[in-house]
Amino acid sequence: MKDARSQRLGKSAERRRRRPRFSALLFLFPVTALLAAAACKGPAPPGGAGVPAAGPASGSAGSIPFPEPDESSWIRPAKDFSSSRYSTLDQIKSDNVANLKLAFTFSTGINKGHEAAPLVVNGTMYIVTPYPNYLYALDLTSPGAPAKWTYKPKTIPSAQGVACCDVVNRGAVYGKGRIYYNTLDDQTVAVDAATGQEVWRTRVGDINHGESITMAPLLVKGKVLVGNSGGEFGVRGWLTALDEDTGKVAWRAWSTGPDKDVLIGSRFKPFYASDRGADLGVSSWPGDMWKIGGGTVWGWISYDPQLNLIYYGTSNPGPWNPDQRPGDNKWTAAIFARDPDDGQAVWAYQWSPHDLFDYDGVNENVLVDLPIGGRTRKTLLRADRDGFLYVLDRETGEIISATPFAYTTTRTGVDLKSGRPIEVAEKTPHVGTTTRGICPAAPGGKDWQPSAFSPRTGLLYIPHNNLCQDEEGVQANYIEGTPYVGANVKMYAGPGGHRGEFTAWDPIAARPVWKIKEKFPAWSGALATAGDVVFYGTMEGWFQAVDARSGKLLWRFKCGSGIIGQPITYRGPDGKQYVAILSGVGGWAGAIVANNLDPRDGTAALGFVNAMGDLPTATTAGGMLYVFALP
Amino acid sequence: MRSKRAGRQLLVCAALAVLPVGCDKLSNSLHQPPSATVRTDAIAVSALEPGARMPGIVHKNPLEGNPFAISEGQRLYDWYNCSGCHFRGGGGIGPPLMDEFWIYGGNPANIYTTIVEGRPNGMPAFRGKIPDYQLWQIVAYVQSMRADKPIASPPGPREDHLQASEGKESR
Amino acid sequence: MSRRSGLPAAAAALLCAALSGCRGIQSSLDPAGREAAKISGLWWLFFYVCTAVFVLVLAFLFYGVFRRRSEDALGARERGKTYVAIGAGATAAILLLFLVVSVSAGREIAEPAGPDALKVQVIGHQWWWEVRYPASPANRTVVTANEIHVPVGRPVFLELLSGDVIHSFWAPNLHGKKDLIPGRINSHAFTAKKAGVFRGQCAEFCGLQHAHMAFTIFAETPERYSAWYEKQLAPAAEPSTPSQERGRQVFVSNSCVFCHAIQGTPAFGQVAPDLTHVGGRGTLAAGSVANNPGNLAGWIADPQSIKPGNHMPPMLMAPEDLLAVTDYLESLK
Repeated sequence: MKDARSQRLGKSAERRRRRPRFSALLFLFPVTALLAAAACKGPAPPGGAGVPAAGPASGSAGSIPFPEPDESSWIRPAKDFSSSRYSTLDQIKSDNVANLKLAFTFSTGINKGHEAAPLVVNGTMYIVTPYPNYLYALDLTSPGAPAKWTYKPKTIPSAQGVACCDVVNRGAVYGKGRIYYNTLDDQTVAVDAATGQEVWRTRVGDINHGESITMAPLLVKGKVLVGNSGGEFGVRGWLTALDEDTGKVAWRAWSTGPDKDVLIGSRFKPFYASDRGADLGVSSWPGDMWKIGGGTVWGWISYDPQLNLIYYGTSNPGPWNPDQRPGDNKWTAAIFARDPDDGQAVWAYQWSPHDLFDYDGVNENVLVDLPIGGRTRKTLLRADRDGFLYVLDRETGEIISATPFAYTTTRTGVDLKSGRPIEVAEKTPHVGTTTRGICPAAPGGKDWQPSAFSPRTGLLYIPHNNLCQDEEGVQANYIEGTPYVGANVKMYAGPGGHRGEFTAWDPIAARPVWKIKEKFPAWSGALATAGDVVFYGTMEGWFQAVDARSGKLLWRFKCGSGIIGQPITYRGPDGKQYVAILSGVGGWAGAIVANNLDPRDGTAALGFVNAMGDLPTATTAGGMLYVFALP
Repeated sequence: MRSKRAGRQLLVCAALAVLPVGCDKLSNSLHQPPSATVRTDAIAVSALEPGARMPGIVHKNPLEGNPFAISEGQRLYDWYNCSGCHFRGGGGIGPPLMDEFWIYGGNPANIYTTIVEGRPNGMPAFRGKIPDYQLWQIVAYVQSMRADKPIASPPGPREDHLQASEGKESR
Repeated sequence: MSRRSGLPAAAAALLCAALSGCRGIQSSLDPAGREAAKISGLWWLFFYVCTAVFVLVLAFLFYGVFRRRSEDALGARERGKTYVAIGAGATAAILLLFLVVSVSAGREIAEPAGPDALKVQVIGHQWWWEVRYPASPANRTVVTANEIHVPVGRPVFLELLSGDVIHSFWAPNLHGKKDLIPGRINSHAFTAKKAGVFRGQCAEFCGLQHAHMAFTIFAETPERYSAWYEKQLAPAAEPSTPSQERGRQVFVSNSCVFCHAIQGTPAFGQVAPDLTHVGGRGTLAAGSVANNPGNLAGWIADPQSIKPGNHMPPMLMAPEDLLAVTDYLESLK
């Protein structure tokens, strides 16, 4: 015992010795950045850029079917219903982005993870903070963009105890002169965008069941669509539609349980045979476990106004330990296409039937029309947790292709006939044994961090992870309002030793065009613009612009804290193009900083701490808005 | 000759006398500990006292350092899902328990009160849900997590156990 | 009774006791299954042969003790060599026979169960048995504790797992022992040949209450087995009296739900026996006491005096609540 202990002490000493080298490097970064900015001639040296490959993709690129033409505003986190995160603004171009300068900043005063996208409407910028979920309105027409008002919702602080992965909030949505967003303690609020007065407030969940809300709602045809979080708390997932004027519940679609709860009716026509049958949300679970089975809806919603379908994903089943829930565990780790008017399901597909690795199915669904096989197909692009990029027919739910974009050892592919993933049996975790080399790790090839699609290049820009893990299954015990996981996990960097990647993906050729390696997981969203510049942030705090075609680093700025937010761009009241980002490290990946976790326990924060032990030396917490423009 | 035999007898007697002492730690904990004698109601969280400093009340965990209590506490720490938020002391949803920083006090009675009453920023209140002797077992385990102290009851990890691996790039 | 007559009487009693040990619900000499029959056949073969050898050896010994030394010492030595040769040859033959028979019996026992075998998972815990019947679709899974129901004539394939330490599964009337090892899945297959109730026991020391870690196997006709299975699939019975209603309320609002599950209620605890049909079980606490309202109430109020060291804490509740909970749990047939 003594030996093991001294060994451990030795290792931590070794880690301490290693630290100065990191800090030296960190010190060098701002210096080079300053030099580059001072030079103002040509692009900055490509600090972390990988080798740019063949260049732009095939001749005919995809198109965004439902763009949002108004560039003076940004009214939902993904910009448009297609979830493209693409702007036609092109003042900031690849040849002048190196001149980008800070325009103004704003401190949120909160030290937790800032994952939200700011909104811009009518010369005002709106920022939703992590818990306690303040809403700030900044006046963009005045110099320095001072705060106009702050809305502080009345919330229950205990809600912080049921938020699995930091007390984040992923943003708000604007409509009918109101800002709608969710609070961690399960309330949806509508706030008058002009005055900051509360219009209505609806409690849609209960923290005592382990429910919380972190997602950004979407406003579709007069309904505010809201989903719950808590896949690690044995929460039964749902998506709820609230009336935009009253906040009254119009419908609620559960993710598990009998068809009448899941809103599966006569219109439900899933593409694959294994998704057909009565009450699969009950029969694919042992006993009553569907009642505590997860399938929460904490990710993104897209909308196709022509087909009149909304698309969203459901989270992992609970508990993580798969031995405790034999069966396909429908409809967790799945995608639903529903009619927004009555919530009726039209099709569904399970990315991970009987999920083994916490591969939530909640990632963004980017609606793109792609020329495939000589015709234009209505597709949906999904970079899933399992590390595969799926191209789906968004009318039927058919998989057109599924190709790995991240390093994977858990699956060899997807059987396009049955729609089922081909899993590697020896990577299945079990109670009492340790399964090693599970790639991607639980946060997946890509977690929630949303990608962006540029119709100019036809590429999908994916910020993602390069993480593997060892996992030991343990018996999970369900106690309402407490975690329900049943796994000890230790994550670590995947092949190459870097923990993040930023990949430009050609969805037609199903191959990467270029890749940038990041030291830490690329945990921020992406933004693509018509200036052929792509923006994203790193967890060290670099906000950077890369060339959309080559991936070459063109410009970067070191923010005060690591970036896990979503960049946006807009035309300001002065006619100039601005780019905005929230810095403020946290989230699951950054919990070690935001919550001061102890790196000596690798299993901390569901095992993510094991991979992030050096993050506290790279950045500190603190929420701050940064907005940039050309001089 | 005779004195030699007497010496041997004495040795045996001494060994027999020592034996129950060793068992004491274990057998004590099989019965419920005398938790009623421990005061937890008046424990201060703040180090700041207006006026003159009062003589401190010493609050001790009756099971502190008891190996059986620590191993039972570890089992309960998992059963009652403490591990779901605090993991093996590194923290996650809840704060770390293995470092020297305590938001609501690191005195055993503080820890006990934290479990029983909960804390406003997410710690649930287990009042009336966990019997007293189990609470003290959990407190004993939490106290044993301190990374800067030797572990009283070392877990015997199997070679293939997750804790036995550093968790790093495979191959 | 005189001292002299006491001795034969005691010997007779001992013999009776020894013989009665062969019969019973926990005896390898009273086989009720295919595998146990093989084992007991082997055992009896060993018994008869060893008895014969024992008698033979004793006979030779007595012969040697009482016979006279021969005049013809040299001839005797030659004959002695022959005897040794015959003795060694016979011993080798017997040993070979044993080997052949036991290997063949072992092979037959070790035969993997066919595809139509009933699959049952048995998970050992300190100190009780979790029993799961995996099924497809998954909602036909049955979970119970300390009781295994099997149909007569159908092979049963057991997956043996452990939730904590090494245990050993032993139902002597049906099969030999097999260990339950953490992190491993051991398999064990048996076929019950006749209906009956058999007792099994943990056969590997696993902690304080190892001795009170028993289980019961009910070998039933396929019809009775199916009826039992369907009944187990149903959620817990609804309370039919105000007392049971209150009992349920007390159960779900107390920390009972921290560990126990009752299907059809908000109790989902997964570290202690599933109580959905607890009222229909024969014993409590893994065969420690008979299942009746008195024992159940006693168990809830003070489980540590019935089975010291077990993992159930005493439940502090008002007497009328205790009675209500007992009433409710006993109604869950």
